[in-house]
This record gives sequence, C-alpha cells and structure tokens, in this order.
Amino acid sequence: MDRNVCIIAGGMSKWGVRDGSQRDFFQEAAKACYEDNPQLNPKDIDGLLVASAYTERTSYQTHLAPLVAEYVGIRPKNICARVELLCASGSSAIILAFALIKSGQADIVMVAGGEKLYTPQKWEVFYSELASVDHDWDGTQGLGLPPPVFAMVAKQHMKQFGTKKEHLGTISVKNRRNSAKNPKAQFQTPVTMEEVMSGRMIVEPLTLYDCCPITDGAAAVILAAEEKAKDLTDKPLVYLRGTGQASVNNMSANMPDWTTWEALKIAAAQAYKKSKVEPKDIDVAMTHDCFTISEIIEMEDLGFCEKGEGGPFVGDGGNDLGGKIPTNTDGGLLGCGHPFGGTGIRQAIEVMKQLRGDAVQQVPNATIGLTHNLSGFIAAHTVLVYGREVA
Amino acid sequence: MTTPGISILQGKYMVTMDLFPQESKEFNQMYPFFDYLKEGRFTTTRCKDCGAEPFPPRLLCPECYATNMEWIDWPTTGTVIDVTEEVVGVPLGFGKPPLIHALIDLQGKRTFFVRIINCQQGELKSGDTVKLAVFDIDPVPQEQGREVVEMPRVFYAFEPAK
Ligand SMILES: [Zn+2]
Repeated sequence: MDRNVCIIAGGMSKWGVRDGSQRDFFQEAAKACYEDNPQLNPKDIDGLLVASAYTERTSYQTHLAPLVAEYVGIRPKNICARVELLCASGSSAIILAFALIKSGQADIVMVAGGEKLYTPQKWEVFYSELASVDHDWDGTQGLGLPPPVFAMVAKQHMKQFGTKKEHLGTISVKNRRNSAKNPKAQFQTPVTMEEVMSGRMIVEPLTLYDCCPITDGAAAVILAAEEKAKDLTDKPLVYLRGTGQASVNNMSANMPDWTTWEALKIAAAQAYKKSKVEPKDIDVAMTHDCFTISEIIEMEDLGFCEKGEGGPFVGDGGNDLGGKIPTNTDGGLLGCGHPFGGTGIRQAIEVMKQLRGDAVQQVPNATIGLTHNLSGFIAAHTVLVYGREVA
Repeated sequence: MTTPGISILQGKYMVTMDLFPQESKEFNQMYPFFDYLKEGRFTTTRCKDCGAEPFPPRLLCPECYATNMEWIDWPTTGTVIDVTEEVVGVPLGFGKPPLIHALIDLQGKRTFFVRIINCQQGELKSGDTVKLAVFDIDPVPQEQGREVVEMPRVFYAFEPAK
C-alpha cells in the first residue's frame, strides 16, 4: 500500500511571552485546528504525534503524547508518541505522520507541537539551552544559546561573499512586516531599517532584530489519507509531496563548512527528487530564519539563488512578496517567535493556507510550497514539499 | 539561603542541571580525557585499525567501526580564524560579558569553536595564537558505598598565547 497524504487542518495558539502552561497551549492549538476544519470529528483521529523539545526541562514532563491526547480529547489507536529534534521537532513529526499514513499504518494523524519555555525566572531557560548542542563538548564552551554560532556564520559569509549588514536588515524588516499582519505572531509591530540598523548589539555583527526570540506556544495540524481527506474537507486538497532530512555532523568541530550547509543541500536534494520538483517550481517557502543570516544562506543552499549571492538576492526583494520566491509570508521565526516543537507545524499551516488560497498575505496562484527547519548546531536540516497535486 | 517550595533539595547537588559532564570512571568511559587534561594535555582517541582520529573521543571508530582505540595527544595551540564577542545573553556559568569565542585551527586537526578566557574585549585578532587553558570546576558529590565523596573535576577553554 502506498497512499497519497493530505494536510486537512491546522491552527495555532497565540505565540509570545504567554501566561499559561504547556498543556494550556496545546488545548488552544487543538481548538484552532478543529475550528479550521469543522467537518472533521476529532474522535476519528487515529494517531497523535507530539513535537516538543524542552518538555522535560521547562515543564518537567515526559510521556507527553498521552497527556496531550487526553487534554485535546482524542483517543489514538494506531500511534501516540512524542518526536524530538529540537527546532525541527514539528517537521520531523510531520514526516513520520506522512510515512505512517502513506504506508497504511494510520489514516488520520494529528501532529501537535509546542513548548512552555519561559520559567518564572528566565535564567533557567537560557541555562537549559546548553542541552541543545553537544552538551559535554559544545555546551561547556558556552555555546548553548545560538547567537555566537550564527555571528560566526555571518562574519564568515560577509568575509567570503561580501554580504552586508543591510542585507541582514532586509530580512528583519520583511519578516516583522509580515508578522504584524499575523494575529498569532509574537511581534505585532513592524520595524524600520533605521531601527534595525541601530538595534542593540548582541554578538557583532548580530544585533537585536537579527535574532529570533524565545517563545511560548503551540500549533497543530491534521494529516489524512487522500480518500479520507476527500470526505473531510471542501477546501482545495493540499498534498505532502516529499521530504528530506539530513545530518552530517553534530559537534561544531566536525562541521564541514560554516557558510555552505552541506546537510541542507542533501535534505533539499532528497525532498526535490521525491517531490519531482526543482527549486524554480517552488512558489512560496517558509525557511528557518532563526537569525537573519540563516535565511540568506537558505536561499542559496535551497537553490533559489547562486551561492554567495544571497545578500544581494534578498536585498533586491528576491524573497519578498512579489519576488522570485516569497519567503516567511507569516513572519517566520523572527516575527512569529520560536517555541521549538511548534515551528515546523506553524510553517506547515502557512504553506497549507497559501496552497488552499486563503493565506492572509496570499501569493497569487501558489501551487507548490516548501518548508525548511535547521536544528542544533546547524547539525540537521529538514525540508518538506507540499503541492496542490501529488508528486 | 532557603529555596521556597523546594526546601527538600536544600544542599543537594543536581547532576541533571550540571553545566559540565560527569568525569569519573563510574559515569564516563572517556574519563582519561579529563585525567590527561589535569596534566595540561589535550587528547583524543585514535583507531588502531584505520588510523582515524575522531573528536569527541569515543569507544567506536566512526570510520571502520572497530573498538580498538588508543589515546593520543593533540596540539595544545591553535591559530585564530575569527573571533566573536557576546555582549548580551551570556548564560549563567560563563562570567560577565563579553563571552568571547574563537574559531581556531588546531594545527590542521580540526577547526574548533571554543571559549576564550583571560582575554580582554577587542584583544584577540585573526592570525593570533591561542593555547589550551585548564581550570578547576565544581566537584560532584558521588556516592561510594555509604559515603558521599567529592569528585574533583577540570575543564578547558583556550587563552591568548602571550
Ligand atoms: Zn577505524
């Protein structure tokens, strides 16, 4: 059995510095997801995958999936488990749900992801981030929080390719302008290039608006086998066409190249091949803008522009609305925030809306969309391709 | 000082919140790395079968899958490729800002992104030489029979070679 798989519903809680607990946000996300598709009876969901990275740290809770199932009112009978790949936990869970449905192991799977990251005293979440990299060898060098890593990436990219601080600024301005139109996003106000360029120094050359924030929140989507999906939604069907996920190193000392992300190129090649598309076929993309420099390198390594030309490409509006590849139309990580397990799912929701034609900032006639996550010390990359038609 | 709400943990050392790895042989088979570090040596494991020198040190050769590893010395000085200085957001345990890191070329073995200590902001430049710096870290109280013994520990960063 090899079935086609559709994404038939999606919703998220309000993201930001939130009042509430992890379990509160999962309920809010499920409610928004159910409201997105009233034709679906949640009792028919036969699988649940939960994506959360810091649940043991900042919520002191393992065995999270049955807890979420209980709280959101579903009784999975084919799969009920958690998936963790830090910042790519959500998209990893979508890949697994896709495989389960494609193979006939499950018919209708909810993928829910989120985090309560803010603790009553903030030092605790920063301290816990030392577990995000190789704790013993990189965390001990003070590299848990990512700004120094991406500052080094930016410095090397600037040195090798002449990328400018203004190019980084273009990404902040674009994604904050987009998030200001997304009521669920953490940041509801746009920023100007002047504000961005005079932002508070974090790690040179990265200033405040180059860095995504720490965020509470959750998101959920529902995937279904095509034959079920046809009965469960009147909206245009959106298919998951193909995926790729690659890791070539974990510890920083084994990183093959700081400015060309080898694992991203491998994951993208896999996703394009399985989806039977090329970079030029992609109409809209959600890429992992944890830092402004990340989105620039992603444009290059996903094949949307030539290597080294990411700076001028974004500077000329190449990845803005109306450009060659509109990117992070919902605000991305820089605008929406980044509750680790939720991010890949937020990206899926925005691509689903773009392909259905009901996005807030709609890309005209979008038929193929892409999502990308990076995770850890730029150690793993995840690429998914969605389309209005099957591959 | 009392800790409201979790008074039962008063005086307890929480290894699950430890910044540094466990270095005793009971909790880490790579303990020789830390013993050598105490002698000022920076080491890793070499595969006797295929000659690979993986870092971090390990039991299993990632190239030929042998478990026939030996300890070897690596250089303790490297050349700075580039420097970053974190002025905001330095995590607990890493002192006052700036937290300085450098990407260093360890004489062709690897490029390491490491913490630089004993260094002023603006001091370190590309092309400079840095050397291994070993320092004491908090010991871990560990049960040995009915006793609790403090296990001493060290860790490393690099510092400007003056
Ligand atoms: Zn070997």
